[in-house]
Order: sequence, then C-alpha cells, then structure tokens
Amino acid sequence: MQSESARMTTAEQARFRINHPNSKPRSVKVVALDARSEAVVKRLALGQWQNASFLIAKHFDGAPRSGEGWNMKDWLSDLAGRTKDLVDEVATADLVVMIATAGANAQAAAVIAEACNVRKVMTTALIIGSESKSDEELSKSLASLRPYASMLVIAGNDDYIEAMLVALRA
Amino acid sequence: MLRKEQNDLLTQTAPGTPMGQMFRCYWIPALLASELPENECPPVRVKLLSERLLAFRDSNGKYGLIDEFCAHRGVSLWFGRNEEGGLRCPYHGWKYDVTGQCMDVPSEPVESGFCQKIKLKSYPLVKRGAVLWTYMGPPDKQPPLPEWEFAMVPENQTFVSKRLQESNWLQAMEGGIDSSHVSFLHRGDLHTDPLFKGAKGNEYNLKDMRPHFEVVEQPGGLYIGARRNAENGSYYWRITPWVMPYFTQIPPRADHPMHGHFWIPIDDENCWTWTYDFHPVRPLTPREVEALKDGAGVHFKYEPGTYRPIANKDNDYLMDRAAQKAGTTYSGVAGFASQDASLQESMGPICDRTKENLVSTDNGIIMARHRMLRAAKALVEKGTIPPGVDPEHHRVRSVSIVLPPDQAFKDGAKEALVSRLGAPQTTV
Repeated sequence: MQSESARMTTAEQARFRINHPNSKPRSVKVVALDARSEAVVKRLALGQWQNASFLIAKHFDGAPRSGEGWNMKDWLSDLAGRTKDLVDEVATADLVVMIATAGANAQAAAVIAEACNVRKVMTTALIIGSESKSDEELSKSLASLRPYASMLVIAGNDDYIEAMLVALRA
Repeated sequence: MLRKEQNDLLTQTAPGTPMGQMFRCYWIPALLASELPENECPPVRVKLLSERLLAFRDSNGKYGLIDEFCAHRGVSLWFGRNEEGGLRCPYHGWKYDVTGQCMDVPSEPVESGFCQKIKLKSYPLVKRGAVLWTYMGPPDKQPPLPEWEFAMVPENQTFVSKRLQESNWLQAMEGGIDSSHVSFLHRGDLHTDPLFKGAKGNEYNLKDMRPHFEVVEQPGGLYIGARRNAENGSYYWRITPWVMPYFTQIPPRADHPMHGHFWIPIDDENCWTWTYDFHPVRPLTPREVEALKDGAGVHFKYEPGTYRPIANKDNDYLMDRAAQKAGTTYSGVAGFASQDASLQESMGPICDRTKENLVSTDNGIIMARHRMLRAAKALVEKGTIPPGVDPEHHRVRSVSIVLPPDQAFKDGAKEALVSRLGAPQTTV
C-alpha cells in the first residue's frame, strides 16, 4: 500500500491545499533613522502596502546616555512631519523595521528598540548606502545597531527594502 | 511570500527559462566520479535541468555527456555498447563519440560522409575532486573550472555523496540557508551524531533558541551570520556562505570535517542534493570515513542500488512517533538529511510561496531570492554574467567563532571566511 507521504506529496494533491488566507495582516512600522534613509522611506511610502506605515525618527542627535530617562513621546514623526507617539506606534506594530545609512548616526535605534523591548515587538535593521562607505564606517553602523535589532541586514541596493517588505506581507 | 510569477521564475530551470539560463552559466555537479569508474564502463542516465542526457567514459578515458537518444530512431543510448572510442546504438549500430559526434552509420557508405552530418547535443564533463562537473551553457561563455575547496584538497581529505530529493531545488536550497531550524529539527542529533558531537558550539546552539541574524552581501552571494549568546557577553557566531545559486557550507563544529551542499535541479519537481565533507588540513580518519559511508552527519543511507535515501516518502521517512515523544529526535525522523528531506518534500513538488508567512529572521532567504531574481533579470535582459560563476567567488568558507559583542563578523572573521588551501578552519 502506498504510504501517506507518497500519496500526499504529488502535484495533484498540492492542488487541494486550502485556498484561504492563513494569516491576518501584520502591522509593520518602517522608521528612517537619518536624512538619507528618510528620502528612501518617503519613496517607499508611495507604493501599495497592506499594513505598513512609514515614520521618521526626528531626533537624530542627543539620544539619551545610558541611565538617563527620556520621554518617548516626541521621537517619531510621520512623513508629513506630525509628531507620533513612539509608544503608541510600537504598541500597534508586529514588526519595526529601522532603516539606517552606513556611517550615519543611528542613536535613535536605542530608543526605538527600548520601546520595542517593552512591548516584545521584533526589530529589524537595514543598513543602506554601504557601497559608498568605508568598511570602518559600515562596521561602526553594525556595532551601533547590533544591540537593538534581532535581524540586521546590509543591503547593497535600496530596492531590497521593498522586496523585503513585500516578502513579509507588509 | 513570493508572487506566483516570481515563484515560477525561480523554480523553473528547463531550457529557455530565465532561471534555466542562469543555471547554464555555472559548472554544476553532474555525477560522482565513481559512477564512471573505468574506461568502457556502462553509461549512466543523467537528467539535469530538465534535459535527459547520458554520461559515458570511452576506451581512452574521455568523459562525455550527450543527448540520451540516438539521432536515428530515438532509442535510448543507455542500451549502447561502449566500445572502441565511442558508444554504439544497439538498434542499427550508429556510433557516437564523447562530443556527440556520430562516428559511424553502418548502413551508409563511409565515403558519403553522412555520419559527419549527425551530431548529438553534448556538454563537457570534467573530473575535479570526486565529482564530474558539466557546463550546459553556450560554449563561448564557458567559465574557468570551479575551485570549490572540497574539490581541490587531496582526495583522502574529502568525501562526497549525492541523494535524490523529490522536490523542487529551491525549497531544498532554502533549507540550507535557514540556520534557525537547526535548534529545532536537528537538536536531537547534535550530541549524538559522530560528526557533530563534542563541539562547544553545540552547547551554544542548544542554550539559545532565538538566534539573532546578520545578513551581509558578498560578491558571489551572501554571508548569513547567526549569533547566539556565549560567555561574558560575547557572541557565538555561525556564518554560512551561500554562493549563487546553489552552494552552501555549514559552519564547522570542533575539529570535525567541514561540510555543505549543492542543490542541482533534475527537473522542476526533483533535485540532487549533493553533500560534501572535507577537512582542510588532514586526511579524514578511517572512523570518519566509515561514519560518512554509513550515512552519519549530513549524509544518508541509500536504498540498495540507488541514490534514493533509505528513509523516503514511500515509507513515511521511517517516522518514529515514540522517538518524537521521547525527544530522541525532534520530528520523529532520524538523521539530518532525512529530517530535512522529509519536511522539504512535504511542501509538495513545488512549494507554493504565495501562501507562506515569512518573518524577519528569514531575511537570508528573502535576500537570496532577491539576488537571484535580480541576477536572472540582468542575465536575460543584458547578458550580465551572474555572481558565483567566477572561481574567485568559490573561495569561501563557513566559520564558527566567538567574538566580542561590538565586532562585526565581517571583520572578526574576515580572513577565516576566505578559503586558502592548507589553512586550518576556524571553528568552535
């Protein structure tokens, strides 16, 4: 008698896989951490997305030193420049994607990651613009983002961000 | 998730398809050299990239890979007589050399030159290491021979096997760059398999079930680094190189041989999983060779007389629910290779990626697909040779290493990620 696995792994049987959504839309917040990545994020936002929103980390300088308290209210803005509450944004996110330019200041990642950690929201960081930066600058960016991202990607081309968001059903 | 047209593009490798065109840019493993062990040995049927071929070794030791079927009446030349510098069809005696050139048509006068007008499609077949490699692309674009380290070390330092996997190549390859499954699917074997056990790295693997990842592009493909917590705030890194479109190397454990895979499409619903083990600086020990032949590590036991694993879909991969419940094996299937094959084949002959839900830790897979889609487009539209063809791209190594928390693996393991013949591996 034919085994269960042999019977069920044919192309014919593959046609019977249930054709019904097997997931609910995920909320993905894409945050630009610096000026160059802001331009990339603004371009991305023009696309068609299921449940992705695009934000900018406003305070590129002066991130709190270790041990200092800070107010999470004013760290983000939407693309129109309106302030968005970081805690609220993270609270409604399934994934936060931070976009950073190699060599640029990525201090805002610490604040965003702290908020994500409180809410147990996964963080991914993508480093763009690596082709025009030195190895040293790239290494600095990696070191500054590593503590704050469970997935860290150096993307050779900006178009990878879009590909990744599509792959994640953003 | 991939759109259907993207999934079709990456999974279809027959002649005339974009991915088929891409695979035809590379030297690919076609047979084990041991399948053609001597001059005038029996020919071997080979299907690669949806083309039916026949491999043979003539009286002078030359290897050939030609169209399987006689140009006369379409008889399979597998029945042919391998004699006097060619393969003769037993139906009417037409004879071919290793280039597919017809040498003799007995029914036609030699003077007519008729046989010169008959030539079967053929591809070069070259021995390097324990593997016979072929290149199935345009002759004028044939690249230099491959320089994968496992095929360049002395033969007593390397062991190669292949197995039939009854699924599309892509779902098999994607398993090879999916480091996070090791802590689940293979966890039962890390402490018991003779080619894995005893490594300090195993402890890091099993203690930290939620690795963090870094994906870095390299000229031939990607480095995918998985980091887990080690002592004093340092990180244990396992760095897997993926070279487009088909090569991976698994990060080493202790002084065990290094190992990895190639995934080569047979057709769109089957592929060859090639598996190599090698040690860069010493011969494999008799005990290691015995274990490898016995299917340990990432190798497997065969059904007698075939390259099909003994645990296969026809016997439900010898599923053992008691072992699953006891935790002896995590899935109930024994052995790394069968564990991978059972799950990858269960996806169906061609995985429907429109239904998948990837998560951020799948970025290695997402990036690999992205790079292949981009390379296939550039090849088809502009004729751009894809990454991984240049032998320089073959000089990669996997690495396992403990690094300080602020050090990027691309820096901390920079030298170790490059293969240099005779240099020891970097391993934990």
